Amino acid sequence: MNTDNTQAQMRKGILEYCILAVLSRNSCYAIDIINELKKAQVIVVEGTLYPLLTRQKNAGLLSYRWEESPQGPPRKYYELTEEGKKYLVELDSAWEELVTSVNQIRGR
Amino acid sequence: MKVTISINLGGYAFNIDDDAYEYLQGYLKSLESEFEGEESASEIISDIEGRLAELFRQKLSSYKQVITMADVKDTVSVLGTPEAISGNEKGEKIPHSSRRIYRDPDSRLLGGVCAGLAAWFNMNMWIMRFIFILLACGGGFGVLIYAVLWILLPEAKTTAQKIEMRGEPVTIENIKESVKSEFNKVKHTMNL
Repeated sequence: MNTDNTQAQMRKGILEYCILAVLSRNSCYAIDIINELKKAQVIVVEGTLYPLLTRQKNAGLLSYRWEESPQGPPRKYYELTEEGKKYLVELDSAWEELVTSVNQIRGR
Repeated sequence: MKVTISINLGGYAFNIDDDAYEYLQGYLKSLESEFEGEESASEIISDIEGRLAELFRQKLSSYKQVITMADVKDTVSVLGTPEAISGNEKGEKIPHSSRRIYRDPDSRLLGGVCAGLAAWFNMNMWIMRFIFILLACGGGFGVLIYAVLWILLPEAKTTAQKIEMRGEPVTIENIKESVKSEFNKVKHTMNL
């Protein structure tokens, strides 16, 4: 078994949850989300974020508006929709359950 | 001395070395083929292009006004390979990147049907043409088949399609090679 691969799969599994969690604190640009996720070492390459944002937008979990930027063309400013907020609450409790389960197994 | 090309990426104008341009184009092409069939493919790619542009801007200053190969490679390593971006790592190749029959516009005499079929069967295109000529002489059947195939088979227009036609995996390296050889071909014809 390749531990790198397992770790990559784990990260991939929680990435969507992490994006919503970042946006739940405050609305922001894609670059702010990337910086947060990089700091927490959840993503390795930046590109991974963009397809996920578009898919979550299509699923109605988040929306964006175009914001003028001081230099250059306008950029997308993302925020959670009401549906996204509800979805996040569900994911929060799913995550709590997961952590409890894993801790229970590890604690034995 | 190098030739530069001026491009519009994500709403910014850049001057980019010609080799770096080819590399960048190969990268964007393989991104396109990676997301082909996805509902919002063009939106995803334009988001990524926007980010590429931001990263390129950070590479420039009043002393350095041209995007070089090193800049593009560095930026691509920050953004990740198309496979990593789409989450399709581990070589689970999507079916569309497998081999397909196309008409080959580069080596065509008429519609490129024989050249395309020859690429599919891995044989010399003159043998394929000979078979068709034989069929055409024996009752004119070959003409009909040729016409139907001309209508049915799509033409290999993009670099990715040409690579699919030859049955090579669609990777950045292959696209780069292909674009380069096409570029050299054009250069060669222009020198004549």
